[in-house]
Amino acid sequence: MALLTSPLPWRRPSVLSGSRPGISPLRRLGAVVAVFCALLGASALAAENANQKEYQLKAVFLLNFVQFVIAWPEGAFPNAEAPIRVGVLGEDPFGGALAAAVESEKVGQRSVVIERVARLEDIGRCHVLFVAKSESAQVPAIIAASAGKPVLTVGDMTDFARRGGIINFYLEGPKLRFEINRTAAERSGIKLSSQLLQLARLVGPPVSSGDR
Amino acid sequence: MISPFVSWRSLAGARKLTGKLSSAVGLRVTLLAASALAMGAAAGGATFEVASYKKLSLAQLMDVEVTSVSRRPEMLVDTASAVQLVTGEEIHRAGATNLPQALRLLSNLQVAQIDSRQWAITARGFNNSTTNKLLVLLDGRALYTPLYAGVFWDAQDTFLNDIDRIEAISGPGATQWGSNAVNGVINITTKSAQDTQGGLLTGSAGTELRASGGARYGGTLAPGVFYRVYGKYAERDSTVTAAGQDARDAWHVSQGGFRIDWARATADQLTLQGDAYQGRIAQATADDIQIDGTNLLGRWGRTFSPQSTLTVQTYFDYTHRIIPGSITEHLGIFDLDVQHRLPVGDVFDFMWGGTYRFMNDRVRNPVSLAFYPANVKREWFSGFAHGERTMLDNRLRVTAGVKLEHNPYTGLEFQPNVRAVLKWREHQRFWGAISRAMRTPSRIDRELFAPAAPPYALAGGPSFESEKLLAYELGYRIEPSPAWALSLATFYHDYNDLRSLEPSATPGGPLLLANGLRGKSYGAEVNLDYRVTERWRLKFGYTALHVSSTQKPGSLDRTSIRSQALDPHGSALVRSQLDLPAHTAIDLTARYVSRIAFHNVPAYTELDLRLSWRPVEALELAVTGRNLLDAQHPEFGADLPARREIERSVNASFTWRF
Repeated sequence: MALLTSPLPWRRPSVLSGSRPGISPLRRLGAVVAVFCALLGASALAAENANQKEYQLKAVFLLNFVQFVIAWPEGAFPNAEAPIRVGVLGEDPFGGALAAAVESEKVGQRSVVIERVARLEDIGRCHVLFVAKSESAQVPAIIAASAGKPVLTVGDMTDFARRGGIINFYLEGPKLRFEINRTAAERSGIKLSSQLLQLARLVGPPVSSGDR
Repeated sequence: MISPFVSWRSLAGARKLTGKLSSAVGLRVTLLAASALAMGAAAGGATFEVASYKKLSLAQLMDVEVTSVSRRPEMLVDTASAVQLVTGEEIHRAGATNLPQALRLLSNLQVAQIDSRQWAITARGFNNSTTNKLLVLLDGRALYTPLYAGVFWDAQDTFLNDIDRIEAISGPGATQWGSNAVNGVINITTKSAQDTQGGLLTGSAGTELRASGGARYGGTLAPGVFYRVYGKYAERDSTVTAAGQDARDAWHVSQGGFRIDWARATADQLTLQGDAYQGRIAQATADDIQIDGTNLLGRWGRTFSPQSTLTVQTYFDYTHRIIPGSITEHLGIFDLDVQHRLPVGDVFDFMWGGTYRFMNDRVRNPVSLAFYPANVKREWFSGFAHGERTMLDNRLRVTAGVKLEHNPYTGLEFQPNVRAVLKWREHQRFWGAISRAMRTPSRIDRELFAPAAPPYALAGGPSFESEKLLAYELGYRIEPSPAWALSLATFYHDYNDLRSLEPSATPGGPLLLANGLRGKSYGAEVNLDYRVTERWRLKFGYTALHVSSTQKPGSLDRTSIRSQALDPHGSALVRSQLDLPAHTAIDLTARYVSRIAFHNVPAYTELDLRLSWRPVEALELAVTGRNLLDAQHPEFGADLPARREIERSVNASFTWRF
């Protein structure tokens, strides 16, 4: 096969033989568009899962927060083997992710269990409380109910930490971040690792005594 | 998950699928994949993701992207050129198995497959099998044959999984690109060795890509010194003639290569890379073509400040091509390139550079045609300078530049251009450019004789000059949100001194190559990138093109005006990338190319579909169907019985990282 083809004049083309039979290309383009419409159905399914990844990630972050508590105040647990209770208050956004995250995890000798919290009075039973977005109107009441108790309050609403929550999730571009209200942490008596504090954005007035 | 399949099948017509595909393995594999997807969707769920996140440290968790905002590099928005980009991830998702298939994803390019290994690829018109107006670079090395200033696409390959991105600039390249960047520049960049650590194994089997396998391993030689090595092999089936007969142009190639990157904590970067390949291509009427080549490239860069950099690059490139029945070529190229960028004052940015290229080309001529002189050594020198000035409170950036090139045929050529980008509101840009570009002569323009012995029917082009282009371009870009971006580019190209075949002065004498034609082209390129949801991304591209050429006064060539420009007046591209639950994905590429009138290549619409599944994080399985809408279709070539047509194909592949 020669390397050089079209520019040379003696390779004259044959008489044009008319157009090619079959489905016209534009009809076929229409078929392709129809495939897209079918895929739209699939994308509706996909849209439901848009949040899944975010909450799967938050579930693993929550597990990390528990692991980064250096010390719980005296009396937070009845005994040395009592489990760490993680409560979810409001409409649970995690699906199975939080249960999957804490499954067979141990912090020291303590296992981690998930509980649904329905009433403000039950907040005190938890060591970690995740406040769902559905409870945004109740935040002041929730903060008041957990005041002075060893409850690590975690949320993902806009000013959860500024309003007194201890840890709050936020998005920076496509990545997940969290902020910590150190005053609220101090008041709860929970000692957080300095590693965790270094990774967080700090909210609220700084405390005079360092905990490093 | 079965439903999109069923809809597609019934729409496309059951009779189309009672052709080759339904009886082949292809359909069974596809159905198997679809049912696997369905089962995969039912299983899985939250547990798998969470388990993989638990393995990360807190700092690593903070690096995970929850919403994948489209990674459009800032520079693209502010470029005063019509540029489109595909990332390595998009190339992988589209199931491209070689570079031309990856180039199909860029809608400002014209990509036509001629046969099993030859492609006609250009931008903005004047496409033919020896198209000479496009510059293609792979990691800074020009993929270029001085025989006709084009690309032998069968010999250009790399480890596709390690491609970082491919940029296609349509229109005359900015002054710093090499020679022959007349209609466009394709810049293929591979990832640095630091970003390709670990092992990767790929394999596939199918109907057109009969078998292929590749492996890559990356590691560290010392702190800060990263390397990778790869090897790959591919065996491709032949295409068919219009009548459906085997065209007997099957081929296979093996290739290996390496890359070493060294980045010191301060400002130096050093890269060394090389490849070697070897292949055989069957021919219908003669023995196999043999190709082989080796290249070695080194690049040193120093960053003095964010605006001030110096880069020195050098490479050697040896290729051999033995075509039984035609020429044998041994080519060696040495290239040295320097670029220096520095700010001057506050608002002025200056860049200059120089290139030296040496070529040693030895050709053994057959009987039917010949290059005289057969063995040549030639040198090219070029330098460029351009300055960039921002004004109007950083909203307007104007660039003026010039490239001076000394080539062995026509001496000194002068290529100036001026470009501007205006930032109109935060997310909109207008840009414009006026450029002059030259397509300098290559060996085919001056030195081609046919037959090899006198009396000649074609006696070279003794006074062939550079082809000239004056290009006017205007474009607009808008990116109102991370979800979508639109770009529009319009152009008017005025060509002069295009190649023509003229009878010589003496009657009965040979034809000579001369510059007897003028040409013009104009059109528009539109590209829309739309992220429908976090998991579904769409891209639309449309290119409208009108190309024409006429004889200059005194020219007697009446055929070249049509045979030089084998371009469709419109082409469209639609791409969809959809991530589904349970780590599956459906990726779709549809393209429409209108008729090439002169060669009677009918308009066609084609569809590529890829289904993939990641059962575990390290392994990906995929089934790709290509050119699914027709059992076979032509894309290029004169309307003769021997014209090759591209068949529908399917292949199954896996990618394993370790």
